[in-house]
Amino acid sequence: MDETAEKIVEILKKNMKDPPETITLDTPLADLEIESIDLAVVVFDIEDTFNIQIPYNANEEVEDFKTVGSVVERVRALLEASSSPSGAAA
Amino acid sequence: MAQSNATRRVVVTGLGVTAPLGTGVETFWPALKRGECGIGPIESFDTQDLYITIAGEIKDFDPRALGLSKPLLLADRYSQLAGWAAQEAVAQSGLTVPFEHGPRAAAIVGTGAGGLTTLERGYYDMYVLKKAATHPLTLLRTIGSSAAAHIGIEYGVKGPTFATMSACSTASHAIGLVFQMIRAGQVDLGIAGASEAVLTYGSMRSWQALRVLSDKGCYPFSRTRNGTVLAEGAGILVLESLDYAKARGATILAEVMGYGTTADAADMVNPDIEGASEAMRLALEDARLAPSDIDYVNAHGTATAVNDVNETDAIRRVFGKAAYDLAVSSTKSMHGHCLGAAGGVEAVIAVKAIEEDFVPPTIGYAEPDPRCDLDYTPNEGRAREVNYVLSNSFAFGGLNAVLVFGPPPA
Repeated sequence: MDETAEKIVEILKKNMKDPPETITLDTPLADLEIESIDLAVVVFDIEDTFNIQIPYNANEEVEDFKTVGSVVERVRALLEASSSPSGAAA
Repeated sequence: MAQSNATRRVVVTGLGVTAPLGTGVETFWPALKRGECGIGPIESFDTQDLYITIAGEIKDFDPRALGLSKPLLLADRYSQLAGWAAQEAVAQSGLTVPFEHGPRAAAIVGTGAGGLTTLERGYYDMYVLKKAATHPLTLLRTIGSSAAAHIGIEYGVKGPTFATMSACSTASHAIGLVFQMIRAGQVDLGIAGASEAVLTYGSMRSWQALRVLSDKGCYPFSRTRNGTVLAEGAGILVLESLDYAKARGATILAEVMGYGTTADAADMVNPDIEGASEAMRLALEDARLAPSDIDYVNAHGTATAVNDVNETDAIRRVFGKAAYDLAVSSTKSMHGHCLGAAGGVEAVIAVKAIEEDFVPPTIGYAEPDPRCDLDYTPNEGRAREVNYVLSNSFAFGGLNAVLVFGPPPA
């Protein structure tokens, strides 16, 4: 796991009552009981940590939030977009 | 539920409303009948970096032109909205002002958030602009009981006067409480409902962060729904015991038949079928009506993914087969989600539906959702016999309040 992934796992753990010892990129967020309002909190923490904006609507099914790995991928893409010369964050 | 003291009948003699689509029942109701939409781009403040930039704003609210009293002209917008709605409702009731029997009257007027506009302005002045002076009315404008207090003062209400606060069930709880107070003989009449005015930058930021708002529109029960839309408003009823109303020769608009209230005790945001269906069942039991007696359900219908499915499931559980004979609609599709005031605005609609035998539509209904399979009166309102209406309010925190209205007693 790189630094981005480690930070995201830390954020997930911070928002769980009893975080498991190992969280991998394949772990589904549902297994971590991160749903609904928890996800809004996690998204906020990620935005705050990485200084990015993540489009997310709790009313819509979002593939980006299925597993830890998919969240990490989404954040990486947003970080790259925000540091690229064209600059336009999603 | 003990009903041994439930001997007095309670009637509605006045309606007052201000909401997107109109200030005053005579403006608001015809717009709903026509299926107009009061939701649009926010104009009352600079949306800056918000990505949710739509809401239901009241465009025609001019406190001075509406003849509000000096104390109300100096009050927070939420109290002004409530003050106007009470003024309209009391005028229609024909009650003399101040009330002749003030100690036998109640004023229960709630709010989800109170004077948020004042609070935000005050903090901005203090923390950002570093102003030396704070407006002396900041406190009185902000407190969530100020609308109830203002209204009590305006009309000489000397009995129970306070606010309810239960997020989106606030107004229905207020109406239910006054209904119970009159029925039990604690008071003879009351002003009941709620008001909400939270369309501010800071408030929109906090709602946006919860990720439940739509950036497009409010499309309840449609497969295309993607969240609710905030709105401001106030809805107020004048309630009286049937005897009190008759004795003074009042025109009776409707009867309050029943009230049911429960809590899910489950989750802050995800609704639960038990709490919602039990509140409806209790309201029907209280009204001594069978599910098949209900003609129209004014749904909570917020257009969030979870509410509309849960509410549909709950209606099916309570009404059984009769669920498919009901006309259901969510008028939030037109006036937006007035939050604490929603149940008050929608109680006004319930009474008008009975009065005019007309079911207002759910507009913006583009595509059926297989999980929401009732008759939601899509896109066009419908003339049909409406005797009994059930009005649902389900709030964050799982706080449920359901009212049943019926025709004026023969």
